[in-house]
Amino acid sequence: MEDQDILAKFRDPAARNVAFNQLVRKYQTKVYWHVRKMVIDHNDADDLTQDVFVKVWKHLENFRQDASLYTWIYRIATNECLSFLASKRRKFFLPLNDVGAELAAKVEADPSLAGDDVELRLQKAILTLPDKQRLVFNLRYYDEMPYEQMAEVTGTSVGALKASYHHAAKKIEHYINGTD
Amino acid sequence: MKTPFRLDEHPRRPQPLAPPPDQYFHQLPLRVMQRVQAPEPTPGFSWLSALPAPLRMALATSVVLGAFVGSFWLSESALAPAATAPDTLAAVPRHEMVEYLLASEQRLSLTDLAELPAVERILPETYLQASPDEVQEVLDAQPTEDTYL
Repeated sequence: MEDQDILAKFRDPAARNVAFNQLVRKYQTKVYWHVRKMVIDHNDADDLTQDVFVKVWKHLENFRQDASLYTWIYRIATNECLSFLASKRRKFFLPLNDVGAELAAKVEADPSLAGDDVELRLQKAILTLPDKQRLVFNLRYYDEMPYEQMAEVTGTSVGALKASYHHAAKKIEHYINGTD
Repeated sequence: MKTPFRLDEHPRRPQPLAPPPDQYFHQLPLRVMQRVQAPEPTPGFSWLSALPAPLRMALATSVVLGAFVGSFWLSESALAPAATAPDTLAAVPRHEMVEYLLASEQRLSLTDLAELPAVERILPETYLQASPDEVQEVLDAQPTEDTYL
């Protein structure tokens, strides 16, 4: 179902629940994996994914369609992830590296990476990036999102995003080659 | 020689981590719908959770400090000395004082009156509400023997 149809249906009080259910089914996988790659842990990703859709429900009525529904939902998910990681650091008074170490430990324990040394090192290298740069890298590398859409999601210029991705890729290659 | 790692040559895994539990995406819409349909929490202290963490911390600190200052102030008030004797005496109406002295056969001698200003200069002014000249005039008019005030 097209976004426009979902939005039109959502405006009808009698069809609102059905429309929202369709919206969740359409975007849940993308939102979950976008969040999961940022917070690594499934339970955290589950909580945050639900929080994202609760926020979508609350604000969808006021959605002005300046951006596409897809990038608007991604933007909410992105803000939730960044807030979660920032509050995690504040909550436990941990320096940057300790949260990174905690996430790296979760990556090492991930069963799907067992036996794939290069992929494991790639995931650990990605975790060495600052949160916002990691987000840019994930959107471009994994989701293959066009820079223009990334600019809508992050509120950053296309040029800055290209530079950020380029530096992130170099850092990752440098990290992996340095750990050989 | 080992080939250096190059990101664009590495096979991309769109979902690099372990997949969520079975049926997760089947159940997620239902769980989200349950959350959005749940009744709003009753207002109480739930607004606290909406505040940013630094503001919550500042608020908690203020409450603790306020409680400490309040308890300190109350305990200080309890330990404060009672009003001074002249103040207490000054608060007693003059006619009640005279009635008390007459009824209880308490006698005030000229010596007492003569010593009174030396002990506390404020007392005759506040208690007797008479100038020293007026007091002297009354004393001169009295016989030398003790008299009621």
